[in-house]
Amino acid sequence: MLSVKHLHLKHALQTVCTLEAVILRSFGPEGGQVLFTRDTGQAMLSCSGTQILKALRLEHPLARMVVECVWKHSAVTGDGSKTFVLLLASILRLIHAAASKAPGVSQWSTEAAEAATARHLADKLLAFAMTELDDLICVSVAPHGFCVSSEDFTTKTQLPSCPNGFCVQALLSSFFHTRLDYVHCDFLSGLACELLGHWKFQNDTLSFALQFLNDNFPALHTQVSGFPVSSSHVIEGQVIHRDFATPCLQVNNQPVKAVVVTEYLQPKLLRRGDMLDLGCGGRVTGEKSIIPFSAWTERSLESVIATLQSLGVSVLLCAVKQSAAALALAAQAEMCLVECVSEEELSLFVRLSGVAPISDCWMIQPENVATLTFCKPIQLGAHRYVHVAFCDSEERVGVKPCSLVICGSGEVQTEQYASAFQDAIRMLFTTWEPTRMTETTALKKPVQSHQCTSLNAHNLTEDTVCRSSDVYVLKPGCVIPAGGTFEFLLHHALLQHGRSCSASNYTNTGVGVSQILADALLTVPRQIYSHNLKSFLQTQTRVTSFTSNQPHHFMLLKNARGTTEDPEKGDEPSKLFTLDSGLESVSCKHQLLLAVLQCLTSLLRVNAVVRTHTALHSASHTHAKMSEESADDETED
Amino acid sequence: MALNGGLCYHPANIHMFPDEEDFEWEPPSEAEMKVIQARRERQDKISKLMGDYLLKGYKMLGECCDLCGTILLQDKQQKNYCVSCQELDSDIDKDNPALNAQAALSQVRERQLAAQSPPPPHAPQLNGGASSSQSGGTVPQPRPEHCEGAAAGGRALLPPPVAPTPAAPAAATTLAPSRPPVSPQSSTLRPVLQEAEEAVLTKLRWATTQLQSSASLETSIQLCSLITSCASSLRSLKELSQ
Repeated sequence: MLSVKHLHLKHALQTVCTLEAVILRSFGPEGGQVLFTRDTGQAMLSCSGTQILKALRLEHPLARMVVECVWKHSAVTGDGSKTFVLLLASILRLIHAAASKAPGVSQWSTEAAEAATARHLADKLLAFAMTELDDLICVSVAPHGFCVSSEDFTTKTQLPSCPNGFCVQALLSSFFHTRLDYVHCDFLSGLACELLGHWKFQNDTLSFALQFLNDNFPALHTQVSGFPVSSSHVIEGQVIHRDFATPCLQVNNQPVKAVVVTEYLQPKLLRRGDMLDLGCGGRVTGEKSIIPFSAWTERSLESVIATLQSLGVSVLLCAVKQSAAALALAAQAEMCLVECVSEEELSLFVRLSGVAPISDCWMIQPENVATLTFCKPIQLGAHRYVHVAFCDSEERVGVKPCSLVICGSGEVQTEQYASAFQDAIRMLFTTWEPTRMTETTALKKPVQSHQCTSLNAHNLTEDTVCRSSDVYVLKPGCVIPAGGTFEFLLHHALLQHGRSCSASNYTNTGVGVSQILADALLTVPRQIYSHNLKSFLQTQTRVTSFTSNQPHHFMLLKNARGTTEDPEKGDEPSKLFTLDSGLESVSCKHQLLLAVLQCLTSLLRVNAVVRTHTALHSASHTHAKMSEESADDETED
Repeated sequence: MALNGGLCYHPANIHMFPDEEDFEWEPPSEAEMKVIQARRERQDKISKLMGDYLLKGYKMLGECCDLCGTILLQDKQQKNYCVSCQELDSDIDKDNPALNAQAALSQVRERQLAAQSPPPPHAPQLNGGASSSQSGGTVPQPRPEHCEGAAAGGRALLPPPVAPTPAAPAAATTLAPSRPPVSPQSSTLRPVLQEAEEAVLTKLRWATTQLQSSASLETSIQLCSLITSCASSLRSLKELSQ
């Protein structure tokens, strides 16, 4: 008999508020770190929202769902997991308050009516966010931002077009500041810029390089524990995280030839499921034994090695573990063999060297042979790895492949630095990703611009927003000062939008949702400045004074200049930027809002929990599976 | 009774599914606002406590407590734990007169205030001369915060609020909060005293039955203290009537 438990709005509210209470003390620049201790005694300090939430022991399906959403969002944008939970909790609270106040609910208040109202509000919020939010951001928030130049990654010089150090490094520095300690964020951001500088393909956009780095990051970095963080550096070429299986005789940097082998060099004698039919090629002998077969395999191995030697190959990178005979023969032929290289590293090697791996040892072609600048062992920490460097090729012009060596005092800490690095790359990728205009949004825009005329067109500048046929698109690389500026600006814009929409009688419900979203957004700066209310008021006053003065200010600037500015270099950044303010990415914030609202709608659609006694998933993470609009939600017992 | 698409045979004027015009949402009154605010604060407190426990290593279960509906936590020893039942005072118990002396006193006070015909505007002047060691206030009834201490200890300071308040200003002068007065006007006092006695006895009986069925430690302690204070009230009432 399956037990069904009905979930109400208050369960969702309680779950999300509990998760909020968990991350609240780590939130903001004043936030602390959480010390985790495993049963094995291993300790970990972290202030990353995803890590904290994933470390909790949660069996409640709603809580697990929320943590899953946070994790997925963080896997895409790399940042904002604590803000996610904070926003989700505040929107849910406001919806709960609105649902219990709805007419017809108070006196005959049933849980179902409240839940239905809440679901309706959540759907409306999501619809509003998908259609009108990006317009609002483009019009009211982005003009106060600044497009960071993606051209130059040098850390030392300050370009004339980048006043006050508004470059990628400043953005990275404020990111690392939220994730790691104060001391090392400048150093690490410099390191990241150095890495990016090496990898940026000349003719391609920054986002291509960032995507490449993001996809291949596990193979492009090495974690070394036991050294201070400041020992981290960028190293030329690729580090393969295995040691040589045969003695390596090359100690100087000589060019070598290498091949990638994915199969066994010596045909395996017997594999599971194989049947060997002994019959010596038609000749009937007195005895049938395995010895002629094994002699044959050895002969084939010898011929393979001979072929490789004739091609001048001296390094073999293998995906599998080779037999002892293969190792012996390779050592005899003075070839270096590396076994059990991971798939990611092999695919990166193949990509960078431009060769095809050998799948059939009988057919080795010259195009399987790669030329490397050197291939030598390298000692990093307690391990010895293989260090290879690639020759320049025509395909990647101006790119010097390099990888990162990340040092930390303990294993756990090094892992944190590495994950912070990867999240930084993801954050940069989200910032520079060109905004994708779907067909539906492109079709909707002209219709809406007639109806909702609250968007002040004269607020636009050419710098951060490009306008083409009534469609507003956020330019890549748009940043805004951190510390709640985005939230204040959007709050103001939403209130204005709500007022003008109600004035023009657009929809009645449009007012409600913009009000809810506007109120919910203010919780973020309130929490940031929770220790210092004066700063909150100061920032709010400063930002709102700019929203009222801004159009005039920009109009004057444009008239005075007379010429059109190159949009990439950007105008002078607005006075909102102070010297010590950090930077944050506008598109990351936009994505965060959309993700929160999507999670909210999914959360409110859950009506009941059905407990089953059999496992539904074989994966190590037990997930709660959700059906579309209907009630049931099945979990593992 | 069968419902046909929204219509019903309900005899009264009430419709089962009212239209929006029939029912207008009115903003909650101040008392309701206070209740809503208190409930919200309580929920925040519960969430904060649950968050702390989660960080300590407790597991959040998928079940809710039967009594209060809060999500259950489980510690490392597989013991289930409900934050609101076992740590915070229960929400409804706070207002339950039997379990909370403060609520009992405020209920009695409300009843007395309602029973008084004109609200005593000259009451503040009356106790100017009366020596009040405890309250020092101008109203003859002691304030709840003082009653709390009094009720917990079951001290003899309790009698005055349960005793008849000055319905007649004349009796007020003799009614000091620290001493049970001996009033010469026993004829006016006796029915009031009897009423008070009955009320206290009813509460005593009720508390006893609750105590027999109570399972929680906190509740039992509070019930015992209520019984103590009821007993001492009865004692002082008897002294008054003599």
